[in-house]
Amino acid sequence: MSGAVARGGMSAGSPAREAARLARMRRRRAWSVAGWVLCGIGFGMLGLAMGWILLMVLVRGITALTPTVFLEVTQGTGGGLLNAIEGTLVIGVGSMILAVPFGVAAGLYAAQFSHTMFARAIRFMADVLVGVPSIVLGYFGYVTMVEGLGWKFSLAAACITIAILCLPYICRTTELALSQVPAAMQEAAFALGAGEGLVAWRIALPVAMPGVLTGILLAFAISVGETAPLIYTAGWSSYMWNGALVGSPVGYLTYAIWAFINEPFASANALAYAAAFLVTVIVLLISVTARLVLLRREGAR
Amino acid sequence: MTAKIAIRNLDFFYGSHQALRGVTLDFPERQVTALIGPSGCGKSTLLRCLNRMYDLYPGQRATGEAMMDGMNIIGPGVDVDLLRSRIGMVFQRPTPFPMSVRENIAFGVRLHERPSRAEMEERVEWALTRAALWDEVKDRLAAPATGLSGGQQQRLCIARTIAVKPEVILLDEPTSALDPISTLKVEELIDELKRDFTIAMVTHNMQQAARVADQVAFFYLGEMVEVADAGTMFTAPREKRTQDYITGRFG
Ligand SMILES: Nc1ncnc2c1ncn2[C@@H]1O[C@H](COP(=O)(O)OP(=O)(O)O)[C@@H](O)[C@H]1O
Ligand SMILES: [Mg+2]
Repeated sequence: MSGAVARGGMSAGSPAREAARLARMRRRRAWSVAGWVLCGIGFGMLGLAMGWILLMVLVRGITALTPTVFLEVTQGTGGGLLNAIEGTLVIGVGSMILAVPFGVAAGLYAAQFSHTMFARAIRFMADVLVGVPSIVLGYFGYVTMVEGLGWKFSLAAACITIAILCLPYICRTTELALSQVPAAMQEAAFALGAGEGLVAWRIALPVAMPGVLTGILLAFAISVGETAPLIYTAGWSSYMWNGALVGSPVGYLTYAIWAFINEPFASANALAYAAAFLVTVIVLLISVTARLVLLRREGAR
Repeated sequence: MTAKIAIRNLDFFYGSHQALRGVTLDFPERQVTALIGPSGCGKSTLLRCLNRMYDLYPGQRATGEAMMDGMNIIGPGVDVDLLRSRIGMVFQRPTPFPMSVRENIAFGVRLHERPSRAEMEERVEWALTRAALWDEVKDRLAAPATGLSGGQQQRLCIARTIAVKPEVILLDEPTSALDPISTLKVEELIDELKRDFTIAMVTHNMQQAARVADQVAFFYLGEMVEVADAGTMFTAPREKRTQDYITGRFG
């Protein structure tokens, strides 16, 4: 008590202290200005990059978008992209069918039994899997399924590979969403005599659902945008999907971008622009939907 | 007066931290026992012993006795889910489940019984009526419970608890997050409920304890310092610490 009084008394009277205080304030203000300038530059660069990419993809894409793109399959270096559009959606849905049950279940377990060894193992494996470059996953799929199991380039090999790629995202977003469910709400259910499973299923999961759905949507967006793993596992096909899971290759949009952009034919380049446009729009739509889902949850609170 | 629950020499540990020391206390049947004392003295901990809430957390443990109808609540071999159907709990903040008003009530009932649709409707109405909420929600049973006001949500939580037909109800500062009018309603409700249920209630509000409690127990630093009927406790406490607390000298 007496110390504080003494300190207060000294700083009021001493000119040296006053000068130091002013200098400190000036320094703080300079840092603050520097911080804002950096933020502004960062924001500007981000905006510029995004604007540029979107503008280029959209402008070039729109001029390349003809009815043919949606109505016909690819023919050599021309034709349409119907086969690729279908393939991208089939691969996306197929890989989600595989990844969602396992990813959500693993995330649910990791959140509800977060202190167990098994939960820690799930978290560790998810982190490792996120870090594996997607082309390595493609190579893995190629060696084990395309060649090892003799599936050739096929829908099954593609879906399983993409599912492995998406699994950790779904798992981690599910876990995150569940960990934000109020403990008191779960305790209230336990206090009525409910068991672990019921509390997870009827209380925690419904509350966390918007977060879980967002994770699934973003994983779907990843599957739409992936290229490398698909080149190794789906191959490429100019025909519509024939319904087979193994044995025949599948077309997809990102291949069209990758393969047709540096062909010496204007028709091929146009297909690449159109494919880039479609991929971008699909991913944007998914992101916006995911945001809306999250916003609706905020609103519901 | 027969004791519904008789606690003898109860110790409680959060890991190595001892939160309750040798607590001995009776909860008389169909009476309201108020637990008072400064924050952190172990009131919530005591309630969480009685419905074995601490079972959810590894590292928390209780030793001693808490006898209810010849069974040691905190002993081994207790069917915890069944115990929780006999001893219900209402928390400080309202915790409506993410479902309709009706489902909030039905959720707990279904854990222990298989009523027909008509029986369930009847039970929902009964519980909501007992919780003095029926008139306010009878037209919105299918609406999400999160749309109710805070006071209504808390009464819904009480309704949800009594719908299971417990014998004992634990209330942990049930009105501390409510406005004065909702508080009054909940207090009236508690007074009503003690005709059928044995009630243990934590409160920081001395007037509230004086209004609704039959018996008051004062806790300090994990020990049960003094217990007496409400009249004696607030007019002639035995211990100086109790006197200091209820006259607002600390806490
Ligand atoms: N989960 C916990 N882990 C460790 N210590 C806890 C935990 N919960 C409560 N405590 C401690 O136990 C003591 C009693 O807490 P509590 O029963 O919540 O007090 P009250 O309800 O009377 O305010 C306090 O010292 C508190 O810090
Ligand atoms: Mg408390």
